[in-house]
Amino acid sequence: MQALLVLLSIAALSLLASSRALDPGRFPALARLAASGFLFLIFGVLMGPSVAGLLSTRNLDGLRPVVALCLGASGVILGLNLEPRLLRLLPRPVYSAALAHAGTAFLFVAVPLVAPILLTSGLSPQAAVGAAALLGAAASLSSGHFAVLAYRSGRMDRARGLGVALLTMLDDAVGLGVLALALVLGASTQVGEGLGLVCLALLLGVMCGALLAFLTHSLKDLAELTTVTLGGVALVGGAAAYLRVSALLAGVACGATLALVGGRTVERVARALGRVERPAFLVLVFLVGCGVHARDWGAWALVPGFVGLRFLGKVLGGKLAQRLVGSALELPPRLGYALIAQGGLALCLVAEYGMLVPGGLSQRVLDVVVVGAVLNELLAGPAFRQVLGPPRAATPARQDLEVAA
Amino acid sequence: MKGAVIRLLLLMGLLAVISRAQVLRADAGTPVTLAAGALLLCGLFAGKVAKGLGLPRLTGYLLVGVAVGPYALGFIPNAGVKGLELVKGLAVSLIALVAGTELRLGLIRRVGARVAILCAGVCGLTFLACFGATFAVKPLLPFMASMTVPQALAVSALVSTVVVSFSPTVTIAIVQETSARGTFTEFLMALVIIGDLFVMVAFALAAGVTKASFGGGLDVTGLLGSVGWELFGSVAVGCVLAMVVLVYMRGVKRELPLFLVGLSFAAAEGGARLHLSPLLVSLAAGALIANLDEKAGERIHHAIQQAGLPVFALFFAAAGAGLKLDALVTVGPVAMLLVALRGVAIWFSCKRLAPADDPRLKEYLWMGLISQAGVTFGLAALVSRTFPTFGPQVEVLIVAMITAHELVGPVLTRRALAASGEVRADEAAGTA
Repeated sequence: MQALLVLLSIAALSLLASSRALDPGRFPALARLAASGFLFLIFGVLMGPSVAGLLSTRNLDGLRPVVALCLGASGVILGLNLEPRLLRLLPRPVYSAALAHAGTAFLFVAVPLVAPILLTSGLSPQAAVGAAALLGAAASLSSGHFAVLAYRSGRMDRARGLGVALLTMLDDAVGLGVLALALVLGASTQVGEGLGLVCLALLLGVMCGALLAFLTHSLKDLAELTTVTLGGVALVGGAAAYLRVSALLAGVACGATLALVGGRTVERVARALGRVERPAFLVLVFLVGCGVHARDWGAWALVPGFVGLRFLGKVLGGKLAQRLVGSALELPPRLGYALIAQGGLALCLVAEYGMLVPGGLSQRVLDVVVVGAVLNELLAGPAFRQVLGPPRAATPARQDLEVAA
Repeated sequence: MKGAVIRLLLLMGLLAVISRAQVLRADAGTPVTLAAGALLLCGLFAGKVAKGLGLPRLTGYLLVGVAVGPYALGFIPNAGVKGLELVKGLAVSLIALVAGTELRLGLIRRVGARVAILCAGVCGLTFLACFGATFAVKPLLPFMASMTVPQALAVSALVSTVVVSFSPTVTIAIVQETSARGTFTEFLMALVIIGDLFVMVAFALAAGVTKASFGGGLDVTGLLGSVGWELFGSVAVGCVLAMVVLVYMRGVKRELPLFLVGLSFAAAEGGARLHLSPLLVSLAAGALIANLDEKAGERIHHAIQQAGLPVFALFFAAAGAGLKLDALVTVGPVAMLLVALRGVAIWFSCKRLAPADDPRLKEYLWMGLISQAGVTFGLAALVSRTFPTFGPQVEVLIVAMITAHELVGPVLTRRALAASGEVRADEAAGTA
């Protein structure tokens, strides 16, 4: 029954999000939240056990397979986006710039928050460092959707918009790397065992990715290809959930392996997955919202620190990135303001951490990041306006060259 | 086919590695998603292998489910298979929706009365044969040995009602797979659907009588009310769903397969909660859509062909994985006796009672009626829940029968359709 309730809620929210009731002119913040899917997150919080209680904790436990499936799917989609050819073409300053702004935000959040986490949780320093690292990882992530929308609507140069989007995509690698580190520290009592579990997740992903590439190699029929793609995603996410290793990391390894060895079928697989991407994301976001403990006052106390420090880290990191990137990439002035939106991967990270690291600390991390992500999304709109300037005239050919560079 | 065999073996190899790797972890996580992915992939490639061997794809799905499931190789844990109940409901609803779109008013007028008469004959004779046999073997069945004669009669009636049931799911899936079209196919489909309606009513009556024989008292009003609600309530809810679908198809016109999957899921889950028959809900919805708007019916058919393959492959592979092979050992002899009697009774009644104007009906119709699947599983589970003292043992007996019927039924159904000359294609794209 809980699955039906989730389905009906999401259907009703989808109707609401696409209706005229949420006119961007009248309710800009709500319309923005609906477009980014975060409205589903808020409704999840409201329906979850700690507020209305329409879904109980037991119900949410029963829906864990769905969360694992969605995490696996998100991972595979991320992995498929890792185009080796494009990554090789990118000059080193671009990587340095991405690392600079993501790393600055990470350090600004993770380092100061270690102390309060350690003092309030009463757990081992290792666990507290892992939790603070994950908060830092979630803070380091940015979403490029404002930049993409801006250049599509002509409010920003295409090259600049793509530059921002590229930097935010590279953030994902930092976030996933820190998730791996946090799991090494937190998923087991011993660091060696934690490392082994992360390696197992990656190995599982590589094996599933190679198998998926082989399975899809000669499939011509679209229905069969879709079936194999869905089955492959469920297999990698499900195997990871069964072995209690990270479905997200396994999915990324699977997608990356597929992108590397899949040849011509990769595009068709990506298209097949693209059809379920949005529904899977909305279900995941909704369920993550349901998992929030809204009455954890300790988490609420950490939220201002998380949001404020991240904002500061992004603004300073943006300046540093601009300096490092030089002429290799066209970026807008005040880049940090374009990086405030946090995106869905942050939610995937904390959902994964919550599933694999038992205890109240991972729950608190989830609460902080979820509330922080909503606040960051609300902040991102006004912040992005600081970045927009009058559009420059540039020929399409030059723009493409700049992007390729 | 060689490629499909290699892929299937590789998949099973990976599953073996995963199931061995699990030993390294002290406590396992949720196995449901793994079961879904593994059964979906194994089912698809096993279906291709089966097709290469001249068998229905569905047989491949079932057999591979048995092979990797908890009762054979054990690559997929039992909890994983049980967690796929949601998919089972969804598949039954989707299949019933397609079946409904085949039920045009013209067809019902043409064959409705003849089908109903034949159905009553087949069901009645099969019931009598199984009822007599179950009562006769009372001493051999541990759960019946200590019952009084009236109680044993009531339980025999209950068991026989369940044993009579057919499988619209298998029949429709095979019809989809072979793209069979014609009067024989129409007759067969109508018969299995109407047969299950008969069984639903008979089951409710038999359950009421059984309750009374065990001291529960015979509540005739309640009994009729529950049967009426299940039948008429299902049709009413189905009509509402049909309106929702038509409004969506006229207004939105996008992502119809996804919408139908969501709606079928809602019909299955909601129907079960409201004590309605999900099969009948979707059947009524499909029939109303097809009769109100023929084009919409065709679009639904096409959309479910697109979305149906993963659902059907997963459904039948999961059904295979859930077949308790050990049940065959414990109640095997009695179950096999009932299987044989049911088969003979169906064959005999079709030979005797089928309309003479089409000799194919007398010759091949019985083969299409052997399968048992979702409805029978559901009724067996209901017996288990309603009568906790002897129900679980009845369930084991019936599941043992389903195991046998699942293995031969799809092959016979395909053979019947092929022999009738109405199979149009080797394979319909994207179906079971």
